[in-house]
Amino acid sequence: MAAEHSHAPATSSHGNGHGDADDGAVHVHIAPSGFYWGIFLALIFLTVVTVRVSYFDFGSANIIIAVLIATVKASLVAAFFMHLRHDKLFNTISFLAAFLFLAVFILLTYDDLGYRGKLDYAYGGKVDAHTGQAAPGGEPATSATADSVEHEGPPGAAGEHGGGAHGAAGGHEKHEK
Amino acid sequence: MANVSESVGHGHDHDAHDAHPSFLQHHFDTPAQQFNASKLGMWVFIATEILMFGGLFCAYAIWRGLEPQVFDDAHHFLNKILGATNTVVLLFSSLTAALAVRSAQVGKRTMTSVYLVITIVCAAAFLVVKYFEYTHKIHLGLLPGHCFGHPGFSGAIQNGEEVGTCLRIHADSAPGMPQWVKAVDESGHVQVLSPRANMFFGLYFVMTGLHGVHVIVGMSILGWVLYKNQKGAFSPAYFTPVDLGALYWHLVDLVWIYLFPLLYLVGKPE
Repeated sequence: MAAEHSHAPATSSHGNGHGDADDGAVHVHIAPSGFYWGIFLALIFLTVVTVRVSYFDFGSANIIIAVLIATVKASLVAAFFMHLRHDKLFNTISFLAAFLFLAVFILLTYDDLGYRGKLDYAYGGKVDAHTGQAAPGGEPATSATADSVEHEGPPGAAGEHGGGAHGAAGGHEKHEK
Repeated sequence: MANVSESVGHGHDHDAHDAHPSFLQHHFDTPAQQFNASKLGMWVFIATEILMFGGLFCAYAIWRGLEPQVFDDAHHFLNKILGATNTVVLLFSSLTAALAVRSAQVGKRTMTSVYLVITIVCAAAFLVVKYFEYTHKIHLGLLPGHCFGHPGFSGAIQNGEEVGTCLRIHADSAPGMPQWVKAVDESGHVQVLSPRANMFFGLYFVMTGLHGVHVIVGMSILGWVLYKNQKGAFSPAYFTPVDLGALYWHLVDLVWIYLFPLLYLVGKPE
């Protein structure tokens, strides 16, 4: 019976056992079932909203709206279904750290794509897309790279970006051999 | 059972070691310490899972930035209604997983099992819907890479037009390369997709495929938790595996919450 009493704070629905004396037992916040159903209904509502909204065109804001709604949904799941709201703060920090590093990963990749030199067929080497000057770093323009780029296939169906990137990669390989 | 909770409840310093409950590994001092360590381990694992999917989301962001028009055309081949149905199924299974944890926390063992079974059934339903989506795309010749528009996938007649066939628009295009694909999209429009659209379907199949693998793994984990629960392994003093299994399942839900709008919904409506 003593056990029952010591667990009472954990099993009651307001259930805040954090302030209790440390008896070594597991104390967690236990939300009422109705609360979880409420979160579920909110998630369904947001799903309906994001589908309905997708039938309207907001141009480039489409993806921003979709990701914002998804982030609200994900926050609800993480905070309440996954108990982060009443969990140790360090667990939340570990979780959010993943998104921080993911953001670093994506932003650096974007930065690289935006500022790497583009292959210029007429020049036969890489050119900075913003200044029009020969791009710093990477391979210097040589006849070998220019040749191999032309053999890599015409840019016809392939887009400038895609074709250029493939051509550059192929040119590198051939040159190194 | 009663023994276990009693020994936890007393928790005097001097008898903490003598009265070791059976679920407490001997390198932990208290059940709370063990519980918190398990949780932290799970959250670090979840962080690595997010980074694994993150690579694919990065690829998605890059290719969508490079080829917005192709992504826009190709995403009309995904069925919004099926995607939304699967979203609701996964959200509901997340609810039942959370309720399974709650039942375990308050010691309702039968309800824990019931909720776990509902969760696993929802996971299976998700995979069935995914199966129909995959087969439809494969029959249209939308498998990525050299399969894209491959003549091996027989054409079909839809809306009175021969579709789902490979179109050798460039006679000199190399065999084994992605081809143009003519097919009826989900709005009923006949579309001719550029070979570059195979990148969209590559991302679609890899992202939803990796997610599908997680669904199967999640089903296995929850099945094991169900088995242990039936054997009476859990109590309000010890429900860590139910909690962590549910956390994994919520992760599967989290990934889908982003996959659904990014693959099915963004782009111009037709």
